[in-house]
Amino acid sequence: MARAVIDPVTRIEGHLRVEVEVDNGVVKDAWVSGGLYRGMETVLLDRQPTDAFYIAQRICGVCPISHGHASTMGSEAALGIKIPNNARIIRNIIEGAETLHSHILWFYTLTALDYVDVVSALSANIADTYALAASAGTSTADFGAIQKRLKGFVDNGQLSIFTNGYWGHPAMKLPPELNLIAVAHYLEALEMQAEAAQIIAVMGGKFPHFMTSLPGGTVWIPTEEKLDEIYFRWQNVRNWIANTMIPDTLAIAPFYLDAAGYGKGVGNHMAWGVFDDKSMDPLKRTLPRGMLMGGLDLTQPDPAKIKEYIDHSWYSSGDGLNPAQGETKAAFDAYSTDAKYSWVKAPRYDEKPMEVGPLSRMLVAYVSGNAGVKSLVDSTLAVLSKAAGTTLPATVLESLLGRVAARNLEAMYVADEMGKWIVELVGAVKGGDSSYFVEPAVDAGAGAGLWEAPRGALGHWVSVKGGKIDRYQVVTPSTWDCSPRDAKGVRGPMEEALVGAPIADVTKPLEALRIVHSFDP
Amino acid sequence: MAQEARAEFSELLAARGVSRRDFLKYCGSVAALLGMSEMYAPQIASAIESGSKLQPALWLAHGLCTGCTESMAQVNTPDVPTIVLDLLSVNYWETVMAAAGTQAEENIKATVDKGGFVLIVEGSVMEGFNGNALRIGGRPGVEELKEVAPKAAAIIAVGSCAVDGGWVAGNPNPAGATGVSAWAAKNNIKVPVINLPTCPVNPEWVVAILVDVLLAGELADGSILKKLDAQGRPSLIFGQTIHDNCPRRGHFENGEFVVYGAADQAEKEAKGWCLYQMGCKGPQTYTNCPLVRWNKAVNWCVESGSPCIGCGTADALKGGTGNWVDAGTPFLGRAANVRLPGVGGVQPSTIGAVVGGVAAAGLVVHGVASVAKGRVKGVPTETEKAYDMKKKGGDK
Ligand code: SF4
Ligand code: SF4
Repeated sequence: MARAVIDPVTRIEGHLRVEVEVDNGVVKDAWVSGGLYRGMETVLLDRQPTDAFYIAQRICGVCPISHGHASTMGSEAALGIKIPNNARIIRNIIEGAETLHSHILWFYTLTALDYVDVVSALSANIADTYALAASAGTSTADFGAIQKRLKGFVDNGQLSIFTNGYWGHPAMKLPPELNLIAVAHYLEALEMQAEAAQIIAVMGGKFPHFMTSLPGGTVWIPTEEKLDEIYFRWQNVRNWIANTMIPDTLAIAPFYLDAAGYGKGVGNHMAWGVFDDKSMDPLKRTLPRGMLMGGLDLTQPDPAKIKEYIDHSWYSSGDGLNPAQGETKAAFDAYSTDAKYSWVKAPRYDEKPMEVGPLSRMLVAYVSGNAGVKSLVDSTLAVLSKAAGTTLPATVLESLLGRVAARNLEAMYVADEMGKWIVELVGAVKGGDSSYFVEPAVDAGAGAGLWEAPRGALGHWVSVKGGKIDRYQVVTPSTWDCSPRDAKGVRGPMEEALVGAPIADVTKPLEALRIVHSFDP
Repeated sequence: MAQEARAEFSELLAARGVSRRDFLKYCGSVAALLGMSEMYAPQIASAIESGSKLQPALWLAHGLCTGCTESMAQVNTPDVPTIVLDLLSVNYWETVMAAAGTQAEENIKATVDKGGFVLIVEGSVMEGFNGNALRIGGRPGVEELKEVAPKAAAIIAVGSCAVDGGWVAGNPNPAGATGVSAWAAKNNIKVPVINLPTCPVNPEWVVAILVDVLLAGELADGSILKKLDAQGRPSLIFGQTIHDNCPRRGHFENGEFVVYGAADQAEKEAKGWCLYQMGCKGPQTYTNCPLVRWNKAVNWCVESGSPCIGCGTADALKGGTGNWVDAGTPFLGRAANVRLPGVGGVQPSTIGAVVGGVAAAGLVVHGVASVAKGRVKGVPTETEKAYDMKKKGGDK
């Protein structure tokens, strides 16, 4: 038995430590530790719901839109506000742009370096690279110039952010030409994520951290010119996902088919759902609400069945409470995987750990009969089945490979839906609907904003008295996925996904890193 | 040597499809941000071109949301500034670096041993729970900072969190957050700190400052270190208020305000009226957001229809207690005692009417910086609002 530790886990949002026990090249046990406590829930107390919108989004600089929306929706639920239809469409577009931004950034900037050997790209044959790009149906770039630039970089001896990566690791499987294609698209992705973020900037002032989805609706008023600015950016990003990101995914996946055989989490999935339709009914969201408990039988989650445990977390009170009554009292003593080892609490649904994220959303949408999601998933399974030489069922998605693929497929799906919302907004504006904002009629109440961040189910529970916040609790996607053990010693989803993973080199546990990144923590 | 580097550099530009003219234009905008005449552009260009060695840098992540790193990914005209960034060897940057764990930590050690590096800090310094509010590499994050900071050639604190704790230090500061300057002073670390508040940091400023650091000493009066204000902020960027440069300013002068919840809110917003009635913190917030803007200059807060919330307000010297959240909340409340020199106390809601065409450049907001002391949340705000009266039909 050997313990491998990854601390800090890099290419994530925030601070994470992972310990794995490895026996004969396989992970036998795992501990995931959240390293940072800031106390947002406490900072928000006694402030106003409008303040909470601006402040709470600063929980996460990669998904501030989702936190801002969940906060605003929590306040609106507490104060009984129903937002105007225009505000709903505008929020969908902003949220969609963040999803595209986040998924592009995640695949290329954050996780690609686990699969793509940048140094190997130096030995790619340029003509073969063009041929490979053509046969994979992915976009080309000036591959020769990029290889030259890379060479200059390596020759200089100062590798900057690429210093000390896992180059030449036995788990790196791509041919040099595919590595070079991926490096070229890694650079393009930097521009595409920025273009998606500019849609948010047009509608929200800036990104990260936006200004306009205040409780009551939106303070952003569309004009023809602004709608144009959104439309052409959306089109560029959408086409890039279709012509580059998806073909890249399908070209890389066949080299990592082994990743379909490990990395399964707890097998329970939950989604609050995201992107409201006109009815504002969460069951009718574009990506619907739903839950799967170890199989493909769809049920509906009841928020009252959530409890947060602190047996292995550095808190001193609030054990076993529902977030609507939750407490946050931090109390550090020591780090020990046998006792307390994380700043993350352990949320459980009906006493069970739940995985959340794009994989959960895609599975819930798939079994809910969402036609768009179904055709994307089925066509991807067909490609993978062909590569594997055997028919792969939808349950194969419950793996490292499936978790990665689900996120990229979701990017495609959301990009296509976004186009419809932009058209919808243009129609509403042209139709003369000029209502964007309503003021609350009351100053007290309690409610929850149950929504989705790109990385999974997100809830903000808000209670207001006399116009001020008197209780605020947040359960983020990473609280679910990076949860430590609970009172019964049951591992959280990421911990569980790590168990059974092969580790070729304990001093460089690259495969473990891949699994951690697949959750996009 | 310089000649050789120049050839390489022009290839670099060509490979990215950047013309020499674009490059010079960019150097001009960097000069402007640094408070130099555009005449310096060719000098900046040649200094960048002839640089043959990469400047080592470490980007450390402390009590953060990763928004400032995210913001760097939104930098303008990516081709040119990333060339500037290519002049650095950022050997540690958690969010984007290839290495992890032990291999990542080795990069810090190797860089610190060699010395002469620029240290960039994102996020608050976390002192709570004996520094365990943030754990990195199995120990308190402040331990890492203690090893690295004294060896740096210069420190750049990016974003309000690193400057004074930011929102993380918001009352009651549950995790013991503070800023780099205050922490360094307490630990007797004498390395100069350049403070760049706002939440997140504006990436254009960071690039300009990095250029300045790279060129240190090469331009007669160019060094930003000589032009820092008492809080360690570059005065060129933080010397004027949002209100000074706001495109809605004309409507402020005319007393034309957007009012939330009013029947004509959307109509007036579409006309770009002033957001002062909604609590805009532009008059007391010192940054050049309206000029530099955000996300490749696509937009900025006030233009989107939201009042400025003063996220660039910081008090680096106090460390923690001057944070923008305590100073600015309730964000939609208007400060109660706004005064105009020579006019005396006035109700903010009547400023537009009183001031009329008089230049309000001297608008002074009192009681904003001073209230945050004694753990008071927010500034005193008006109770009866003029627009409330208007709704009731009481406005004349
Ligand atoms: S109060 Fe705000 S919106 Fe109005 S002119 Fe000043 S900065 Fe601009
Ligand atoms: S305009 Fe105000 S709120 Fe917006 S980034 Fe600048 S200082 Fe912050």
